[in-house]
Amino acid sequence: MKNKKTKVKVELTRRDFLTVAGAATGSVVLAQALTTGPLSPFSNLKQGQLEGIESAPAHSKNTYRWGMVIDMHKCIGCEYCLRACSATNDVDPQRPWNIVVPEKTSNGYPFFFSRPCLHCQEAPCVEVCPVKATYHREDCLVVMDYDRCIGCRYCEVACPYDARVFNWEHREEGNPFIPTWGIAEVDRRPRGVIEKCTFCSHRIDAGLKRGMVPGVDREATPACVNICPVGARTFGNLNDPDSPVSVVLAHNATIRLREELGTEPNVYYIPPEEGL
Amino acid sequence: MATATIERKPFNIAPGLVAWFAFIGLCLLIGLVAAVAVFTRGLVITNMSDLVPWGLWITVDLSSIALGAGAFTLSAVVYLFGIKRFQPIVRLAVFVGFIGYTSALLTLIMDIGRPDRFWHPWVYWNVHSVLWEITWCITIYLAIMVLEFAPVVFETPFFRRWPWLLDIANMMHKLAPVLAILGLLISLLHQSSLGATYGIVKSRPIWFKPSMPIMFILSAVAVGPALTIAIAFIIEVITKKRNISHDVLYTISRFSGLGLLVYAYIKFWDLAAVSYYGRTPAVSNALAMLGEQTPYNFGFWFGEILIGILIPVLIFLLPSLNRKPANLIFGAACAMLGVIANRWNITVSGLFVPVSYSPGTLFHLPPGQYFPSLVEWAVVLGIVGYVLLMLTLGILYLPLFPKAK
Repeated sequence: MKNKKTKVKVELTRRDFLTVAGAATGSVVLAQALTTGPLSPFSNLKQGQLEGIESAPAHSKNTYRWGMVIDMHKCIGCEYCLRACSATNDVDPQRPWNIVVPEKTSNGYPFFFSRPCLHCQEAPCVEVCPVKATYHREDCLVVMDYDRCIGCRYCEVACPYDARVFNWEHREEGNPFIPTWGIAEVDRRPRGVIEKCTFCSHRIDAGLKRGMVPGVDREATPACVNICPVGARTFGNLNDPDSPVSVVLAHNATIRLREELGTEPNVYYIPPEEGL
Repeated sequence: MATATIERKPFNIAPGLVAWFAFIGLCLLIGLVAAVAVFTRGLVITNMSDLVPWGLWITVDLSSIALGAGAFTLSAVVYLFGIKRFQPIVRLAVFVGFIGYTSALLTLIMDIGRPDRFWHPWVYWNVHSVLWEITWCITIYLAIMVLEFAPVVFETPFFRRWPWLLDIANMMHKLAPVLAILGLLISLLHQSSLGATYGIVKSRPIWFKPSMPIMFILSAVAVGPALTIAIAFIIEVITKKRNISHDVLYTISRFSGLGLLVYAYIKFWDLAAVSYYGRTPAVSNALAMLGEQTPYNFGFWFGEILIGILIPVLIFLLPSLNRKPANLIFGAACAMLGVIANRWNITVSGLFVPVSYSPGTLFHLPPGQYFPSLVEWAVVLGIVGYVLLMLTLGILYLPLFPKAK
C-alpha cells in the first residue's frame, strides 16, 4: 500500500458556522424543554416532587401502602390468627398462610414468632413469575391472579420467607375452622396454582368503597388482626402518619425479616423485651 | 396403472427391530399411564412438596436442554465460522437438539400445575422473569430448529409427491447461516439463563452466585456435541454404514474434551473463589448441612467431577484412548451422566437447605426431603421412550446424512 498523505483542510464558511451554532442552540433549548420544560413528562410535577422521585421509594407516592406491625413481646402463641385466617380465606389448616412457631432469644427467653406474607416492596416472587400471575397492586399488596398462574412454583422457590403454598391436589375436605373461627369470604383456589396471604384484600377493597378505614374499622381489617386476643397485630396505611400502624411504628423499635436481601417487607416486628 | 410409481422397498421386519419397538412401546405406555394419573389426580401423587417444589422433572428439563446444545454449537461451527468439514454432522446435531428440546417441553407440561395454561408466558409477559425469557427463547429456538431441519424431512420419499415443498426447503437452506447466527444468540441466552434461574434466587445460599449461568452454558457447549458424536457412532454400529468420516468425529470429541477442561477450570474457580473464600455464613452453614445429611459431596466429587469431567476429558484428549469409537461413546455417556448429576445436585440440594428467616435462634424449617416417586420415574421412562422412538424413526426414515457431493 502506498502511504498516501492526505491533508485535511477545514474550511468553515459563515453559513456553516451559523448552521452549527443554530443546531447547537436548538438542541439545548429542546433538551431543556424535554427534561424540565413544558414538553417534559414531569412538567406537571413540582420541584419537591421531582426531588422526591429520586430519594423516596416509588411506592411512597401512592395513597395507600398497607402494612402490619407484629408485636412478638405481646404474642402468646394461641394460633388464633392462624385459625381465623384459615376460616376467612378457606385455607388448608395443614398448610396455613399464617404460621405461628415457638422461638427462643439467644438468651434463652421463649417467645412466639408469627408470619403472614410480608408483602415485600421488592418482592422476589413478583420478579420471577413468568406470567405476571403475582404482582404488586397500587397499594403495595403482593397478590395472585389465580386465573393466570401456570403452577411452575418458581415463586415458591424464590420466596425467602416460605410464604407461598401450592395446591398439590383438588381440596374437597371441609375446613374444621369454619364456622367456629369465621366463614369463608373468598373462593377456594383450584388445583395446580400457588396461593398466598392477601392481607384480606377483599375486606380492604370492600371497606374502602363503603368509606371505612382499614386497620381501624374491623370490617375492613384482616381477620388475623381482628382476632388477636392480645392486640399483637396492628394494621393500616403506612403512608398515613396518623394510621394506627404508623403510630405504633413511630413509638417502637422494630425489625424486618432478612433486611440484607433488600426485599423491603411491609411487615415490621417488635422484638421481645428480652431482646432477640 | 402402467406408469411406474415410486418404488417402495420391501420392508424387512427384523425380529430385533420388533423387539426394540416393543421395548419403546412399553416405555411409552408406562409413561402415558403415569401422565394420565398426574393429569387426573394432580401433582399430589409426586413426592414433591412445598419444601421441595422442584425435583426430578426439572432435572430432566435442564439436562435435556443442555444435551441438545450440540445443535447450536455445531451449526455455528459450520455456518458461522465456515468450517465446512463438519457439514455432514449438522443434520444429526439439529435432530438431536430438536429431540432434546421437545422432551424438555413434554416434561415441563407434566411439571406445571396447570398444563392447560402452558401458553400463558406467550401472552402475559413479565420481562423481568428469567423463566419468561427462557420460555420465549426455547420456543423461538425450537422454531429455528424446525426451519433448519425441514429440508431433511421434505427430502423423504413421502413428501416427493409435493415437489414444491422441497423447493421451499431449499430456499430455506440458503437461510442456514442466518438461522445459525440467530440460533447461536438465542441459545447462548437461554442456556445461561437456565443457570440464572438458580443464580438469581437470593434466598437460597448455594444457588445465589454469578457463576451459575457461566457453568451452565460451558457444560452445555462441551457435552452437547459429545452426545451428538456418540449417537453418530452408535448409528454407525447399528446400520453398519460409515456416514461421517471418523476424523470429523474425533475432532469434535477433542473439542468436547477441551470444553470440559474449561468447564472444570470455571468449576474449580467457583469452588475456591465463590463458594469457599467468598463464602457467607449462610453458604457455609448450607454446605455443612448438605455434607452431613445428604450425599451432596459424593454427588459433586464422584458424579460431577470424576464421572462428568475427569473420565471424559481423559478419554477425549489422550491420543491412546480417543481413537476408538467405543471409548468415545463411553466417554460421552459419562459426560452426559455428569451433566445430569450436576443439574440434580443443584436443583434438589439447593432446595434441601431450608430458608431461614426467623429472627430468633430456635425455629428452623426442617431440611427438605425428596426422592422421586414411582410416578415421576414412570413419566421419565416415557420421555426416554419418546427420545428412543424419535431417534429410531429418524435413523430408519430420514436422510440424516447428506450424500457427499
